[in-house]
Amino acid sequence: MVYLRVVGVTFAYQSIEALRDVELEVDEGELVGVVGPNGAGKTTLLKTVAGVLKPKVGAVYIGEREVAEMSPREVAKKVGVVPQEPTTYFGFTVFDVVMMGRNPHLGRLSLESQRDYEVVRKALEATNTLHLANRRITELSGGERQRVFIARALAQEPKVLLLDEPVANLDIAYQLETMQLLRKLVDGGIAALAVSHDLNLVSRFCDKVVMLKDGRVVAAGSSGEVLTVENIRRVFGVDVAVRRHPTTNALYVIPLKPVKRFRKVGKRVHVVCGGGSGEPVLHELVERGYDVSAGVLNVLDTDYQVCQDLGIEVVSEAPFSPISEEAVKRNLEAMASADILVLVPTPFGQGNLKNLQALVETAERGKPVVILGNRWGERWDFTGGRATELLRKLKSLGARTVSSVDELESL
Amino acid sequence: MNRPQAIDEYRARYARWLATLFALFSASVVVAVVSLGVGSTSISFESVAIAVARRTPIISELVKSIEVSGVEEVIVVEYRLPRVVLGWFVGASLAAAGALFQGIFRNPMADPYVIGVSAGAGLGAAVSILLGLSLAPGVSATPVIAFAFALATVYVVYNIARVGSTAPPTTLLLSGIAVSIFLSSLIMFLEVVAGERLHAIVFWLMGGLWAASWSDVYATAPLFLAGLLVSMLYARDLNIMLFGEESASYLGVEVEHVRRVLVAAASLMTAAAVSVSGLIGFVGLIVPHLTRLAVGPDHRVLVPASALVGASLVMSCDAVARVAYAPGELPVGLITALAGAPFFIYLLKRKKGEYAL
Repeated sequence: MVYLRVVGVTFAYQSIEALRDVELEVDEGELVGVVGPNGAGKTTLLKTVAGVLKPKVGAVYIGEREVAEMSPREVAKKVGVVPQEPTTYFGFTVFDVVMMGRNPHLGRLSLESQRDYEVVRKALEATNTLHLANRRITELSGGERQRVFIARALAQEPKVLLLDEPVANLDIAYQLETMQLLRKLVDGGIAALAVSHDLNLVSRFCDKVVMLKDGRVVAAGSSGEVLTVENIRRVFGVDVAVRRHPTTNALYVIPLKPVKRFRKVGKRVHVVCGGGSGEPVLHELVERGYDVSAGVLNVLDTDYQVCQDLGIEVVSEAPFSPISEEAVKRNLEAMASADILVLVPTPFGQGNLKNLQALVETAERGKPVVILGNRWGERWDFTGGRATELLRKLKSLGARTVSSVDELESL
Repeated sequence: MNRPQAIDEYRARYARWLATLFALFSASVVVAVVSLGVGSTSISFESVAIAVARRTPIISELVKSIEVSGVEEVIVVEYRLPRVVLGWFVGASLAAAGALFQGIFRNPMADPYVIGVSAGAGLGAAVSILLGLSLAPGVSATPVIAFAFALATVYVVYNIARVGSTAPPTTLLLSGIAVSIFLSSLIMFLEVVAGERLHAIVFWLMGGLWAASWSDVYATAPLFLAGLLVSMLYARDLNIMLFGEESASYLGVEVEHVRRVLVAAASLMTAAAVSVSGLIGFVGLIVPHLTRLAVGPDHRVLVPASALVGASLVMSCDAVARVAYAPGELPVGLITALAGAPFFIYLLKRKKGEYAL
């Protein structure tokens, strides 16, 4: 059952719009991660859901009720918030802090009842902090303190749990512990919304991911749908590799480098490489603003992965298969549309010899070819001399050897 | 430690708090009785007890037959008793106000005197005394005007000092001191134009209980009790607000409302004290700190316990003020400042990270 609904919410601090048309749903027993760059409106979204900020347009519903029509006390009975780095330099004990979570349930004149103690004890147990009950909050480690504030939120007996950077400033052991705890609580039937910068923990522990940028939802859905190379590049401006980890079966994201905003030079370069030989060249060409294509590469080839990560067009072939006629045809088309062809020294065998043949064929039609680098190595020709013959022919057609992309550009 | 027991202890703590408060109250009664005997004329404990008993309904029947010197009885009952009782309420008001201000501003250096509220109330009181304002025939307007000035002063000082929604210790102190100096010079101006009332205002400003009367007690006591009652109703909210206002709002605390109510309560208690005793400094700074060490940071017990400790402290300081320069008398504000200023410096010198409320 959908417990938390954010419907078309727009919010502005004075004239600066922080949220625009945000739509979001969280079911009971569901953990939704909110990701996005700094200033994307993540914390503003949490505050709006918690009723601390009132949306300018749109509404937030908890169950059937609209948050804007509930008193702060009513909201606090339904929504528990674990704030980011709460100030804790006061000598309250862990028990005192968690009992504060009962505040929305207590009248101004009422004392804590048997039930309040029971709820607090359960919250302490659930977060594995019962043994800390008499310790001062100031004496605890970061991870313990985080658990105490989760316990405080649980003592509110909330249906919805909101967490602002629950694992920021925690070491990896505490990060894991905190996320596992959160997962357990959510599986118990709470609807939770967690803001986080850690894409890997989000993809591993959250059922759904919402990606925000400039106050708008850019993508929402499963981690596979949201945490894509394209989305991350668009939203964070970073090139990443996204893989599925064999152990956790969760996606993980490896930041490669920021997307540099080189001016597009408007020139197409087609690269012939393979087996990892092309990696540095591909990176450099992309960075310098060339439209790069490559091929033919087998799908599991290292250079194929590099092209995927860099968003380079690749003429590809099935894994471990020799290059088919159909691929050769597409490769020739890619070469024809390029302004310059680059050959990176690569071992050639029967499987990829057709790339060299395609180069010769295109060079014969007058397309300039450059051989980038001289690292042919001891043995690169596994074709009994046919590759060597093609290389000699290529050179005789005017293909020059350059040592760097700089030298290439000076031509 | 057995785990369930750890929590069970908390169930018993209201009883523990009541016991603590009862003990502190008893201590303040003892201090009161002892200080009744202290002064330029030293009077034995026995005589004090009999004199008080003779004026107490019901008990007076039992001690009717016991002889006591008529002069001693007059000194104890007519002069010292209202003074001691007023000292109790003044000390209690200032200390409770200090505890509240420290919590509201999340600032361990806050105190009605340091942040200028006392000076504000003082200016209001001076204006009222000079103009001889009254609410109704025989009812002085001084506490009301002092309260209004105190509130206005907090508002100004806080808004000068604040950064976002908190007032950092240093800026709050600086703005409090600046406003305080400004208000004090206005008070000095009033002194100059006061003419024949000069003496009354000067001595009043030094902070003294020498002119105490029962009407002062009747003016101060209800204001203190009202302030204390309100602060007790909001003490749990104040505890939560110590963890930050945003965090408090997530727990259903209406932060702005609570802060206004508590600032009013603390200013009311300050005004109650200042309008009858002038500027007695540092009570509201020292007492909550010492009390916190003993009872912990929970305002539900901290505020009333501070009040009781403050009562004992001011009565003691007043007793010292009466005998230290005998046969002359020192203003009690001088004694509290002699003890308070070094303590203030000690707090200031502590490392920032140790600002533990």
